[in-house]
Order: sequence, then structure tokens, then C-alpha cells
Amino acid sequence: MPDYDGVNGLREEFRVVGSRNLPGRLSQALATGVAKFGLDYVMPGMLHAKFLRSPYANARVVSVDATAARALPGVVEIITWEDEEIRALGSRGERFGTSKPWLDNIADREGVEVAVIAVAESEDICEEALRALVVKWEVLPHVTDLIKGSREGAPVIRPEESTPPSFGRPGTVNNDFPKKGNVYHVELISGDIVEGFTAADHIVEYDMYTPAFAAHLPNPSGSIAWWSKDPYQGDGPNLHIEGAVREKHAISVMYGLPDEKTIQEGLFMGGKYCDWGLRKSQEITPLLAKRTGRPVRCVNTREEMYDFLMNERYLHLKVGFMNDGLITAVEDISVADHGSRGSSSFGNVGDLTQGPFNTMKCKNVAQRMDVVDSNRGIMYVSGQHCPFNWDSLTLGIHLIAEKLDMDPIDVAKVNLHGPASQDDPNPVPSFERCIEAGKKLMDWDWHKAGVKVLPDGRMHGMSFRYQMCPRHSGVVYKCKLEYRDGVVHMPTQGPLFGAYVVEANAMVVAEELGLRYEEVSIDYDYREPFRAFGGGSDGTTASAWAMKECANLLKRQILEAAIDYAENPPQPAMFGPPPAEPGPFKGLKPEDLDLVGSKVVIKAEPDKGVPLSQASGKNLFATYTGRPPLSVWSTGPMGKVLDVMNAAFCEVAVDTDTGEVEILRFGAVADPGLVLRPISLESQIDQVMYFSQGCQLLEDFIYDERTGVRLNNNMLDYKKPGMLDAAPVEREFIETRGSNAVYGASGISHSLANTHLVIIAIQNAIGAWVDPPATPDKVLRALGKA
Amino acid sequence: MDNHEPARTSEMIRAVPAALDEYRCPLCGACFATRAELARHYEGEHPGVVAPVVVALMLNGESRQVLIEPHWTLQRALQFRLGLSGTKHMCDRGACGSCTVILGGRPVLACTTLAIECEGMEVQTIEGVAADLRWKPLVDAYCRWDAMQCGYCTPGFLMAAKALLDRNPHPTEEECRAALAGNICICGTYPRHATAILEAAMLMGGEGAIPVSEDGGGADA
Repeated sequence: MPDYDGVNGLREEFRVVGSRNLPGRLSQALATGVAKFGLDYVMPGMLHAKFLRSPYANARVVSVDATAARALPGVVEIITWEDEEIRALGSRGERFGTSKPWLDNIADREGVEVAVIAVAESEDICEEALRALVVKWEVLPHVTDLIKGSREGAPVIRPEESTPPSFGRPGTVNNDFPKKGNVYHVELISGDIVEGFTAADHIVEYDMYTPAFAAHLPNPSGSIAWWSKDPYQGDGPNLHIEGAVREKHAISVMYGLPDEKTIQEGLFMGGKYCDWGLRKSQEITPLLAKRTGRPVRCVNTREEMYDFLMNERYLHLKVGFMNDGLITAVEDISVADHGSRGSSSFGNVGDLTQGPFNTMKCKNVAQRMDVVDSNRGIMYVSGQHCPFNWDSLTLGIHLIAEKLDMDPIDVAKVNLHGPASQDDPNPVPSFERCIEAGKKLMDWDWHKAGVKVLPDGRMHGMSFRYQMCPRHSGVVYKCKLEYRDGVVHMPTQGPLFGAYVVEANAMVVAEELGLRYEEVSIDYDYREPFRAFGGGSDGTTASAWAMKECANLLKRQILEAAIDYAENPPQPAMFGPPPAEPGPFKGLKPEDLDLVGSKVVIKAEPDKGVPLSQASGKNLFATYTGRPPLSVWSTGPMGKVLDVMNAAFCEVAVDTDTGEVEILRFGAVADPGLVLRPISLESQIDQVMYFSQGCQLLEDFIYDERTGVRLNNNMLDYKKPGMLDAAPVEREFIETRGSNAVYGASGISHSLANTHLVIIAIQNAIGAWVDPPATPDKVLRALGKA
Repeated sequence: MDNHEPARTSEMIRAVPAALDEYRCPLCGACFATRAELARHYEGEHPGVVAPVVVALMLNGESRQVLIEPHWTLQRALQFRLGLSGTKHMCDRGACGSCTVILGGRPVLACTTLAIECEGMEVQTIEGVAADLRWKPLVDAYCRWDAMQCGYCTPGFLMAAKALLDRNPHPTEEECRAALAGNICICGTYPRHATAILEAAMLMGGEGAIPVSEDGGGADA
């Protein structure tokens, strides 16, 4: 459904939107190191703080003797979890699971903050103080292997907790099962699964493994805070904090302050992609600064930053299908990680029903999931990387194709329902176009597994997947635009994460007001309410819809003011330059005027007008609070109607002597509705393909089974792809303008990220399945060579 | 585009005092007028602890002194003593390139280089490169091609690119990729760096910018 509800939603000509090489407004600051992130701030007289971190996967601090630590030169405070002010703290950031104290003596994963905070003149002294503590630990049994942890007789690590995970859990889920040991069981059954399998001509069953994958924020999280009293900021103390970034409001609430008394001028939050959780290092500094009367800095180390972007999950799938490839029944039996306390439930119950099964015509679907308490780690908010476990169906489609000797694209076509409902036989237009473009892009010539040998002797494999774009559309944006001294200003509090959201909003403002992009002044101010959040490119299209409405409200005011200026020209002032010559607008109505080429002009005589900068001496402002219509995707039962689509392809070469896999190329054809800022969108695709490559070929957490300790929390042993690893990505955009965000755009969200596209291509090359990450040793094992 | 950065980085460089005007004890905060007084303070108050040392650097073309503890890395000295936070701390063990500086003409990782080992050496940081208008085409090309997303690792990439262009003003795309192989970008911006460097090389060599092709790519980069 295009953007019918908004002003100019069906605009046909674009001057600014869609333009290339319009630099980010703060790119210069980023490139030159002027941009400061939370951990970059250094203040005179600054103290440092560090938390005691658990060396055990599951343990309880029985007692702490801090006598020796307190006696060290440079130690200012040793604070324990029993401190009254610590006990009174409560996090207000994104948080999940059973409510728990902000800091206590329970350590439920290795490396978690526990029991003690050291405050000292330097980080070195903090660390020395923590080493000087005499801590009595009660080491408890741990669970880092989900399968073992879900078995009867496994040590129960959180017997006191029985509330099933809930974040993102659909209301139709049956979670009315008593917790058994570490396991919450949930089920989501639709249709008649027995009947579905009875009707099938064939049944395939397969196991699938999705490893955990690191969020890996480039800038280690942390903050610095200090307090001040400044009459220009009103009565009472002001909290200055740098490093809370997007969660400034959560810090305000945590410390009982109005938003305007929490001052954060830094704009840069680093690459936080759907990892919105506040770390304790971002929350504690205001309290410590208040206690010590000095600025306090607390920053995590790299080793303390290995949280999950995706939880571990084991799946067993059983798929029934007809001779033509039509799926009649799906049973998905999963074991998924519930993580340590506070872990998000995207990746487990949050995946249910929203996943790929709703794009299928088949209505007989049973999802049964064991969600297992573990000591493996924590996931903040969301698996930005491929939510909803989409590739469980991708794998099934390829298995059906293999069984029936059909092109997997044809299997997907048979099973994809039309845009209206699961009974709609019409194709999804966007899907058809993506597929056709993708076939051309990739010279698609599918072959059965293990049959194609490249001239250099390596085996050739290829794969395909599709996914819909779930546009975030529920966020309300508080937009404001000002016309001040002849210039249009777009004030925003920022901050900036790794997407050019603010720039795209400014492009839309420029488009609507007849300005050049450079003429919109983006004013960053922490007091301003506008934040263009709500996802990457998809959030951009939503915020820009609201900003489009705001721009048109301002436009009306400017045109009215230009007429008023013409009819009531101001008297010359005693000081300053003479007033500008009014435009020839006497007796006209706003409808007679337009903003074109940075001028106010008469529509019927566009060569008659005045520069916008001289249109009026008034200061004007417009506000708009709202959001675009909910995305098609989220109306009605979640996921029953498709929004715009994309298709991704992968081509690999596998050396069967060495087990090495080379991704020859990725192909991505996406329908973002309309491209607002092309390089941003291309970057987003490059990024998700890069994530996808990493988790399928390189990245994995290694645990010591005996202790539950993670062995590779560093950038040497946990391998992210580098410049020479990154595979070529070929992209193509199809603009159907089928969404109801700005101008029919939807963005692409993170739907191109995948967990098994490369794995399927490897299977297509060698005829054997390799669990991700497909390292050479695993490939050789799958070939029976190791 | 915000073009104030050369002036701002020049200001940051000028703000670093040429000589130390106080010698502060990192253990207790006491201040002294000379290094000798600080050393005596250590002997009396913190016996057995190694006292801070003064290291002289030729920092971005200017002679500078810095008081550090002997185990401090160059990255730490730049951020915590000299106020230059463009040399970023990411991996802290020489695996990501975010802290790349040019030391004695060679790109090195400041997180695994002890500051004390840099005594008397020429150190170029991103602030120095940004303040030098000769390198503006490189900065501008990075911005024009969005060779950054969150931007945290970007100064390190730029320093590696600058070091490449220092030794090879006309690199090929392959040479660009090889020169940046030690830099990690979590946001996955890899495809755009070579384009930006090649454009900078062309501009610095008196040629024009890379034209934008229909599919949005830059030339053959």
C-alpha cells in the first residue's frame, strides 16, 4: 500500500531524494577523530571505576574482605552490593526477564559484573584493588551446553525462576507448561499437523544449528559523568554524562532527573545495531560522581564486550510436501538459549510465529521449543542478525528442491502466498521482480549438489533465499522544523549510530521545501526531542514520513508569512540593514505560491519570486508528532500479509582437498520501496552480508566445558572478517513504492542478514551439510577426510 | 559538509602544551613543579613503585613532552595525557588497526607500542593528518563515499590509507585493500575504502574526482 495518507506521498519527481554522494553531516568529524565516543572523554581530576568480574560461569559471592584493597594508594572507594545506594539503584534501560537487583552477589556468567565496584585514581589502581580483594566464592554448577543443560538430571541453575521468557512472545503461544529443570517449554500450533503430514507425498527431516554470534560493539561501552550547578540550566544540580547516548532518557529516569537536567553533548554511539542495552559501566558513573564529587569514568574492556547478537539454537525440522513442491506440514522442534539473567528473548520465544512459516501457503505448522536457562552469555534486545530464524525454511526449500530435482526458486514460488493472505494465490509482485533480477544478476543456473566442478578443480555451489522486510512502524516521532533568519533548521538530539538517518530526513525536508540538501541546517542539541530511531533504513523511512508532514506544515507557514510580508512590509529599523524587498505576492493566497529552487515563487509565473532567505522577517516553526500508518506487515495477525521483499544469492567454491570455502560473490536484490539515500542502503546490505559471512565461516564462541569459561573473548581468537576476507556483494534495488512509509519506501531492515545462505551453497557444492561456522576442518570432516 | 575539522584539529594540536607545567602523582594526585620532586615524593610516599617518566615526542611536527607511567601504551598517552582521542582503543592487542599512528614514517599500532619506546620519535596522529590541508582530499573522499558508518574505526583506516599514499601515491585497488588488511570495521564498510583512496590519489595527483557510475559505484573501484 503506497504512501497515500501523507502529503506528497506519491510525489513523482525527486531532486534530492535518491541522490548519491551527499556526505554525512558529521562524517568529517568521524573521519578526523574529532568525534568523541563515550570512552574518549577525559576530564581533569577524573576518577576511574571498575567492577569485579566473575571468573566463574556460575557462582555466588559469599563474602568480600576489602581491607587490603582500601589501603592501596590511589583507591578512593570500594563499594559492595550491600551498599544502600547501590541497593536503591534500578536500571531503566532495555531489560528483560525476571526483575533482579541492579548489582548483587550472583554471577551467572563468566565476566559478569558482580558484588564490588572499585573507584580509584587510575584504571590500573582499580584493577590492583580488585586483585587485592579477598573474595570467598561459592562455585555452582553451570550450563553452557544447551543440550546437556536441557536433559533430566542436569544441574538446575536458576531454580527460583519460573516465569517464561516473554519479550516478543506472541499472544497465541502456549506456554502453560511447568518449568522442568532449566527448561521452559512453549508451543505454537496452527492447523492440523497430522493431517498435513498424511497428505504429503514426501517428508524430509533435518537438523540445523545456529551458533551464537557476537554483537561486538566497536567502541567498548562506558561513560563518564559529573555534576554541576549552573544558573543557566535552572535550579538544582545538572548531571553531565557522556556515553549513555541513545539511553540518556533512561539515565534521567534512573537518577530521578528531568530530561533537560541530564546533559549529554556527545553524539556518537558507535555501531550499536539493535543492541540497545545499557551496560552497568554506562549507568554507574552518575552515582559515583555524586559520592566522590569528581568526574568518574567507567569503561568496559574489549574482553567484557562479547555479548550476543544472536543466541544459540538447535533445530530439528520435519517438512511434508507434495510432488509439485507444495509444503503441507512443518514441525519445528527447537532448543534455544535463554542465556544469563536479563537476556532478551529474541532468538527464542520472540522468533515464534513471526518467522518464515507465515509466508507459506501451508497452515499446518507446529513449533515446539525448549528454552534453556544457561550461563553462556547475554543478548541485549535483539538478534539484529536475521531475526525469526528465517533460514529454517530456506534450508527446507533447498532440501525439497534436491529431493524433487527442482530449482529452489520454483519451490519457493509454489509455497509463497500472495499479498492478501495465506489463501491468496496471486504472486507477490515484488517477489517476482526480485527473483527475475536476481537470476540475471547471478546468471542463475541451479544444479544438484556435488556435481559442478570449476576449471580450477574446486566444487561450485549456489544458494538462494528470500525474506520479507519487517518495517518498524510503531515509533512516534516528535519532529520540529524552524525557519529562522531565512534558514530552515532541523533540530535533533541525535545521537548517531551507524546509519545516516538524520541525513535522509534532511533530504526529505529539502525535497519538500524546494531547497538544496546543504541548505537544511541540522542542529544537534541534546534538549531537542527529535530522534530518528526505530531501525536502520526502515526506521529512516518511518521518521522521514513524519518529517515530511512537518516540512509541509512549515511550508504553509512560510508561504503565509511571505504574503504577509508583501502586504505589510516592515518599517526600516534604526539599526541594521534595510529590510529585504518583499516578493510580488500581494493579494495572493498560499495556494498560489510554491517553494522551488530555494525561492518562494508564484506557481503560475515561476520566474517571479524571492529567495527563501528573504521571504519573511519572521521566525517560524512547525511541529509534527506522529508516525506513518503501521506497516502492512504488522497489520492483522503478525506476518500474515507480506510487505516488500528481497532475495539473496550466494555462490561459493569449495576446495575439497583443503576444506577452504571461498565466497565467489553474494547477490542481493531488494525492494526498499524507494531508495532515499543510496549509499546508506548499499552499506546496509554490505554490512548484513558481512555479518552473514562472519557467522557462517569464521565466528564462534568456544567454551571450556569443565569451567564454563569462554576462551576466545578477544579479536585475535574470535575472528571477524577483514578487508581481504570480505566477499564481493552485487546489489540491485527495485523500487515498487509499495510501502506506506515516506514516498512508498520501506527500507530493508536487516532482512538480508542470514545464517545459512553460505552453508546451503556449501552443501550444494559438496553434497554434505556443515554446521556453521564452516571452517576448513569441519568441511573436511563432512567430506570424510578428517 | 562540515569543513571546520582542519581548524579544529589544528586547535587540538596547539592545545597540547609544549612542556610539562606540573608533575602529578598518579597514585595520590599530589602535584609538583619538577620531575625530580615527583621522584622524591615516590621515594618517600610510594616506595618500591616505579615513578612516572617524561617522554619527549615529535608529535604532529611539534616538540612535546608527556608524563607517563613506564608501562603505558602510546594510545593511552595520546588519549589520557595529550588530549588526542582520535587514536581509538578497540581491541587493545594489535588486532584491529583502530589505533594506527605513523611512527617514524611507518604505520604502527599504538595499543601495542609502549610510549616510552617512542622517545624522540616523530609521531603522526589522525589529528595531524586532518590539520594538514594537503590531506584534505583523502578526508573528503572518505566522506563523499561513506567509507564509514558508526565511524569508530575510521581514523585508523585513514591513517593506514595515508601511510599507503605516503609510500605509493598511485596505488591500485588491490594495493589499497592489502594496505588496509589489518584494519577491522565491524560495520562492514570494506567495499568503499579503496574507492575513497583511489579518488584521493587522483585528486592529490591533480586529476578529478571519480565519476559516479549509474549503479552507484565509483569507476572500476
